[in-house]
Amino acid sequence: MQRLYIHPLPVRLWHWTNAFGVVTMILTGMQIRYVGLINVVSFRTAVVVHNTVGFILIANFFLWLVYYLSSDRIKVYLPEMSPRKHFLGSWRQAYYYGYGIFRGEPNPFHISIYRKFNPLQSMLYQIIMMLLLPVQFYTGILMWDVKRFSAQVDFFGGVRVIDTVHVLIFAFLIFYVLAHVYLGSLGHTRIAHFKAMVTGYEDVEEAAPGAE
Amino acid sequence: MNGCSALFQIPRARVYGGFAIVAGALFLFAAAALPAAAEDKAPPTSEQCLGCHGSAGMEKKLEDGSILQLHVPGDTFAKSVHSEIGCVGCHYDVDLGSHPPDKKDIPSPRSFSITMTQVCRGCHTDKFDQWESSIHAALVRSSNPAAPICTDCHNPHGVIKGAAESVEQVPCQKCHADIYTAYRGSMHAQARLKSADSYAPICSGCHSAHAVKPTAEGLGPEAACFNCHAGLQEAHEKWLPNTALHFEVVSCPACHSPKAQRKVDLMLIDSKDAQPLGSDDPQVGVPLFEASSQSGSKGIDAQALATLLETLDRSGIAGKTVLRGRLEAATGAQAHMLTDKSQAISDCRTCHSSGSQPFQSVTISVIAPQGQRVGYGANADVLNTPISLQSVGGFYAIGGTRIKILDILVILAILGGAGFAIGHLVLGWMFRYLGLYHPAIGGHRPSEDKGPKSV
Repeated sequence: MQRLYIHPLPVRLWHWTNAFGVVTMILTGMQIRYVGLINVVSFRTAVVVHNTVGFILIANFFLWLVYYLSSDRIKVYLPEMSPRKHFLGSWRQAYYYGYGIFRGEPNPFHISIYRKFNPLQSMLYQIIMMLLLPVQFYTGILMWDVKRFSAQVDFFGGVRVIDTVHVLIFAFLIFYVLAHVYLGSLGHTRIAHFKAMVTGYEDVEEAAPGAE
Repeated sequence: MNGCSALFQIPRARVYGGFAIVAGALFLFAAAALPAAAEDKAPPTSEQCLGCHGSAGMEKKLEDGSILQLHVPGDTFAKSVHSEIGCVGCHYDVDLGSHPPDKKDIPSPRSFSITMTQVCRGCHTDKFDQWESSIHAALVRSSNPAAPICTDCHNPHGVIKGAAESVEQVPCQKCHADIYTAYRGSMHAQARLKSADSYAPICSGCHSAHAVKPTAEGLGPEAACFNCHAGLQEAHEKWLPNTALHFEVVSCPACHSPKAQRKVDLMLIDSKDAQPLGSDDPQVGVPLFEASSQSGSKGIDAQALATLLETLDRSGIAGKTVLRGRLEAATGAQAHMLTDKSQAISDCRTCHSSGSQPFQSVTISVIAPQGQRVGYGANADVLNTPISLQSVGGFYAIGGTRIKILDILVILAILGGAGFAIGHLVLGWMFRYLGLYHPAIGGHRPSEDKGPKSV
């Protein structure tokens, strides 16, 4: 085992702010949408917290963006330009999670400082960070003050359309957070990856001969 | 053009001016005539008029069989502001020498009163002009027999200054009895009854006395709230998220008449000019609505509404036809049950929880030619089916009118996320239990294999 400094401090700060923020948004979002069925806090409190944390997440997103745009670590997000390689890598990773891991096979992906996402993560995180979160922030801002942004709201077909897009991404994020936390527990110990996201250091095994 | 319209286009007669001309002519005639004749031609005094008309039971049977009351109680008239101008101030055409006339063509008391409005107009020009712009005048023009003219609200022989502003005597109650009853119980009427100096509004305070506009236009009464209650916006912004939106889509009484039932009205709007569609528009007309409303026993359903909107857009209306939703008290009377703000609804759950009462009653409305709103019942599902995305995209209350199918998606997301984790764990345990887990081939050291290894 060797230790690699995979997660710089700005990334860790961004990640945990994002993590607690997204969970708060999901919980308050559930309270807002299902008031009457869920009555943990008042509707108004949920709305105020949802709005406040929403803006914190937006600011946090830009911190993430500025950090990566100004750092050579942005390489971790650069996509695999060869569709064949990307497809094969994704297939191997999906096979591993779906079968190989149960058999005790080695993880086909080996983490490094400039390559910390496996092909599935790479694809997913680009979709989340470059599409879903911006859209979620945008629709959230529109609903935060519908009158102020009424021209844009109307352009997209009305507040109901905006809300529906917001809820669709909300549903995806619920699934994502649950799956993300579970997959995070699949390190060489259950808490290895969580620890790494606190300390910045991942424990990395020596690559097996022939492994990627 | 009907008879009433023609009536209102008569050039304005200056009663006093006309009366002066008549009086001058009479004076010149009197100077050349015998003294006995002068007595006959002089305008009658009020005392002379009341000599006959002050007698109870004086009336005239008209040709159509109706009765025209001719009795004027003398004491009432004496207290009236009109006593100063005397009977001939209005009835300037009466000539004692030929009064009562052998035949006077009065089809009905109503037509006589309508004719006499021109006399009112002579002195009260500004008020008459305001009335002409009102829903009341529009209804008169459309031959509505119940629409009020001057004398329906103001007894011409007993006009007391300020009477129309008294809660007890306000004339609106004659036609709008249910609204008046609701108003009597409101904080406005109670404040006014407690103190004569109260600035709490009576009917005319919000609706204006003469330029009464139909509330359907959404301009009058709510603006009146803001006129008196300064700082409303700021006061609401302290606790109400999206205040401006709430002010736009929720009428004041929806919250400030807490005992009222609430409903959603979806008004058809031409997005080109943001104006409501009229029921007289042949493309929107009543038959189309009635046909749609028959599609379901509970009124227009979601599919019929979507079809209706498509039909309207296909028919060549310049702008896209959209629905503008608004939450309001279920009836006009209930909108007047206003209470002190301490009793107003401030619990968001009233509207933002699923199945809440305000969204169980829905109307689709257009504007009638006279300006009032015509609403057609709609099924509550127009607010929460996926079709509503297209047809009612502009009206949405979080939680309250949510699309149910999205709830299923949220549940699937929770079950899917949790199920993925639990299923993966269980599979890992099963492979171990069945002896299918061979860490050696994966390069893991057996000592570390206390759970699924990965990443």
